[in-house]
Amino acid sequence: MSMDTFHYDNKIVRNFGIAAMTFGIIGFLVGLIIALKLIFPDFLGFIPELSYGRLRPLHTNAVIFAFAGNAIFYGVYYSLPRLCKAPMWSPILSQIHFWGWQLIILSAVLTLPFGITTSKEYAELEWPIDIAITLIWVVFGVNMIMTILKRREKHLYVAIWFYIATFVTVAVLHVVNSFEVPATMLKSYSLYAGVQDALVQWWYGHNAVAFFLTTPFLGIMYYFIPKAANRPIFSYRLSIVHFWSLIFIYIWAGPHHLLYTSLPGWAQALGTVFSIMLIAPSWGGMLNGLLTLRGAWDKVREDPVLKFLVVGVTAYGMVTFEGPMLSIANVNAIAHYSDYIIGHVHNGALMWNGGLTFAMLYYITPKIYKTKLFSTKLANIHFWFATLGAIFYVIPMYWGGITQSLMWKQFTAEGFLQYPNFLDTVVQIVPMYALRAFGGSLFIVGALFGVYNIVKTALSGSLVSEEEAQAPAIIDPAEGHEEKWHRKLEGRPLKFTVLVLLAILIGGIVEYMPTALIESNIPTIESVKPYTPLEVEGRDIYIAEGCNNCHSQMIRPFRSETERYGEYSKAGEFVYDHPFLWGSKRTGPDLHRIGGKYPDSWHLRHMYDPTSTSPGSLMPKYPWLLKKDTDYETIPERINALRAVGVPYAENYDEIAVRDAKAQADRIANQLIENGFDNVDGIAVTSDKQIIALIAYLQRLGVDISGTNDPFSGLPSDSRMGANIMED
Amino acid sequence: MEGIEIFPSISLILFFAFFILLVTYLIRSGKHRWDEAANLPLENDNPNLN
Repeated sequence: MSMDTFHYDNKIVRNFGIAAMTFGIIGFLVGLIIALKLIFPDFLGFIPELSYGRLRPLHTNAVIFAFAGNAIFYGVYYSLPRLCKAPMWSPILSQIHFWGWQLIILSAVLTLPFGITTSKEYAELEWPIDIAITLIWVVFGVNMIMTILKRREKHLYVAIWFYIATFVTVAVLHVVNSFEVPATMLKSYSLYAGVQDALVQWWYGHNAVAFFLTTPFLGIMYYFIPKAANRPIFSYRLSIVHFWSLIFIYIWAGPHHLLYTSLPGWAQALGTVFSIMLIAPSWGGMLNGLLTLRGAWDKVREDPVLKFLVVGVTAYGMVTFEGPMLSIANVNAIAHYSDYIIGHVHNGALMWNGGLTFAMLYYITPKIYKTKLFSTKLANIHFWFATLGAIFYVIPMYWGGITQSLMWKQFTAEGFLQYPNFLDTVVQIVPMYALRAFGGSLFIVGALFGVYNIVKTALSGSLVSEEEAQAPAIIDPAEGHEEKWHRKLEGRPLKFTVLVLLAILIGGIVEYMPTALIESNIPTIESVKPYTPLEVEGRDIYIAEGCNNCHSQMIRPFRSETERYGEYSKAGEFVYDHPFLWGSKRTGPDLHRIGGKYPDSWHLRHMYDPTSTSPGSLMPKYPWLLKKDTDYETIPERINALRAVGVPYAENYDEIAVRDAKAQADRIANQLIENGFDNVDGIAVTSDKQIIALIAYLQRLGVDISGTNDPFSGLPSDSRMGANIMED
Repeated sequence: MEGIEIFPSISLILFFAFFILLVTYLIRSGKHRWDEAANLPLENDNPNLN
């Protein structure tokens, strides 16, 4: 048998490793900054670009796509060629993938802090970047699939299945969730509205966790645990069951993010059932990883790589137990919107994604630099900082989350809310926020030790850029024709990929199609009207400032919520909400029925300095809203884009929309001035400032359902077009 | 779009059937049939490195 000699590209592996470490530290630090802002709202002053609402998406995007993303590619570019006994198919595509991905990250840094965002969680990047992500993802996929097709090993190892599932599913999720109509170069509106947008978003959001933070890392687990323990996986047969059950079931579980919301009940029930089922494959995979270490536990005591792997996989087990439990409706009723969820995700992110990433860095770096790890002792210290950091992060969040949620729900013996002032429940958990920041700091210090250790290791060796390897020449396609079923399938990557696609499409289609096609699922309410142009501008400011990062717009049908906020939210109230803004956590109170609750002057003062109306508030100040001009110029484009996604503005309304916006702004500003609010702290109140548009939007929230509100009444379009404002 | 509620049930039955078939096949195939595949990650440790 002739032997081929070929070379693995270790340089690209190293590059992804450097990127993962660099963006990891940056992403963690941004996380620490926003954690500190919840303890010291004045921290870093009141610079718009550094405000909480704008930095939180930067943190989540940095740690998910920049840290974990680069870590995934680090693991894939190292393990895939070795499992295929072939170098990556195209070094040029590898380079395009690497630099393209880093440019996407750079574009996130250059847009999110400047308020350029879609507001959809973990999909905040605007449409041009969405297109770039799609292209670069395809580059990665083509390079991976071609490498698999050109392999010298007939059999596809289980890690590769997980990589294939990652590529296929993330592509589908990203494209479907990003259907949007551009209004300007940096502003678009989701094609979907309200309930449908929520369903698509959380189908995406949940499966971003599943297919970006789970499946690729499971592939990494299936490769690196056997490597580090020097023994094969505990049960290969279990891995087959694990793989197919996991990818089929995961895709259905998204609606558990929307329990008790306006999503149709049957979709919520499906989400719950599949989430509970998910515990089986998740734990099957976890046990498969841990049981691989049977008889090798002594190694875990000494080897930092195994330590990070074991604690990572254990954390995965904890989180995948917790997830199904949180999907049970009455547990979800307590945990949802609270900081418990933040604790839950960080348990997974810090130890599972973080742990596996650092395990890879400690494993791969000495290999590709042909040297020994600089300091095992320092790596062990890092391990303890990381573990303690995670514990100090997660437990206070659990504690604080439950405490706050129970306070929200507490009634007095007379039947009144015990804590009617939302702030009381916030102040109560500030010490937990402080502990969380301490835990996060420990984790970061540990990570810095890790980076130092990795850099010193690299400096002590020299990179083997082109690692030589040999394998028998090309595989014989006729060989193994007697093999049956799954074994046969594992030699046929294209068929395998198609089956993966089928498995993940079923759940998505079955859940989404009825919501999209059956009108009875989204009952419309006649009195609910589209937003006025000024309210559209206000809503866009709300999105740009990231208000949805702390405020929900979804009152669940609980007495504790209807007492506090008002009538519970109905699906029909959101039919013009492109995108939906239901939010996912309540660091501040729900805003769905804020309209009309306070006078305009209250909002004016509150936005300028929240403590002036709400002493002790943790909300940042937004003084710039009183100084920045309203963007009237692009209102016609935005009205047209909204009409394109289905909002029934009359044809040619864009031509008079600016006049309507200015008239409404004048009305609000004049009323404020008449009431004695002609300035705040010396800043004159004028109709052309953003604060006026935001007030218009906030005062509109949740009022249509009363049936007495006519948003276009008194505007210039009213006499001529008011009746026609809605087509038909 | 009448009777759409049947689709989740069909999907569940399909998956369940697939799952049962898969598990039966795997149990019948025997453990050692998969040894070679399970050892794939351990094969190509390059002795020249480290």
